[in-house]
Amino acid sequence: MFALSFSRLLLQAFPKQPVTPRATAQCIRSLKTSQQDPLEKDDMPIKMENPYKQPPKTCILCNITVDFKNVQLLSQFISPHTGRVYGRHTTGLCGRKQKEVSKAIKKARSMGFMSVTLKNPQFMKDPDICGIKHFE
Amino acid sequence: MPRYELSVILKAMRRPETAAVLRRTVETLFERGAVVRGLENLGERRLPYNISKHNCLHTHGGYFSVDFHASPKILSGLLDHLERDIDVLRPTVLKKDVEVSEAQCCGLQNEKAKSNVTSR
Repeated sequence: MFALSFSRLLLQAFPKQPVTPRATAQCIRSLKTSQQDPLEKDDMPIKMENPYKQPPKTCILCNITVDFKNVQLLSQFISPHTGRVYGRHTTGLCGRKQKEVSKAIKKARSMGFMSVTLKNPQFMKDPDICGIKHFE
Repeated sequence: MPRYELSVILKAMRRPETAAVLRRTVETLFERGAVVRGLENLGERRLPYNISKHNCLHTHGGYFSVDFHASPKILSGLLDHLERDIDVLRPTVLKKDVEVSEAQCCGLQNEKAKSNVTSR
């Protein structure tokens, strides 16, 4: 430690003198690196894709075709009490799928596949997608 | 020729009578120059609501779907013919769209970003 500070003092005192690398602990390291350059380059971070990348967020119906014939699927997005279609803030679907679902429900109703004012009792026990708590 | 789907609800009848109605329907399609691709039986079920048609109230019906290619000109004539058929409760002709590519599906994140930008 004292030797290092002393050498620094000398350098400060005689700046015009050519600075020759001295065999101190600091200098030995610099000597080594000057001879072997690839070592420094190996020390750099390797370029790779973010390993903590999360999968892209998708809505429930991503990559699922919505059909007016699939009444059970459509019934999951209507109220069991009134048969009304749930809004986007309730279903959590993306814009495109919400539109598809509501269009399909309206089609099914007019074509005689699905009821307008109620939900088919067979489908009452289906898993709750929309996460609404109904009074029992 | 564009591709259509006829989804029809028939009166709840016994098998030979249902077969006769379907035969009639498909023959009508052939007469009008349609190419029938396939016929599907979606089952006989209880109707979601009572349908009163041809002076009769129906509670059960058989659901069938006919896939066909046809010229758009015959559609109105075809629907008119089916409406007059006593055994057919509800005929509907839909155009079958080409399936949208699923690669674009679900830009939930993009949508949220867009809504944030517009709200600001």
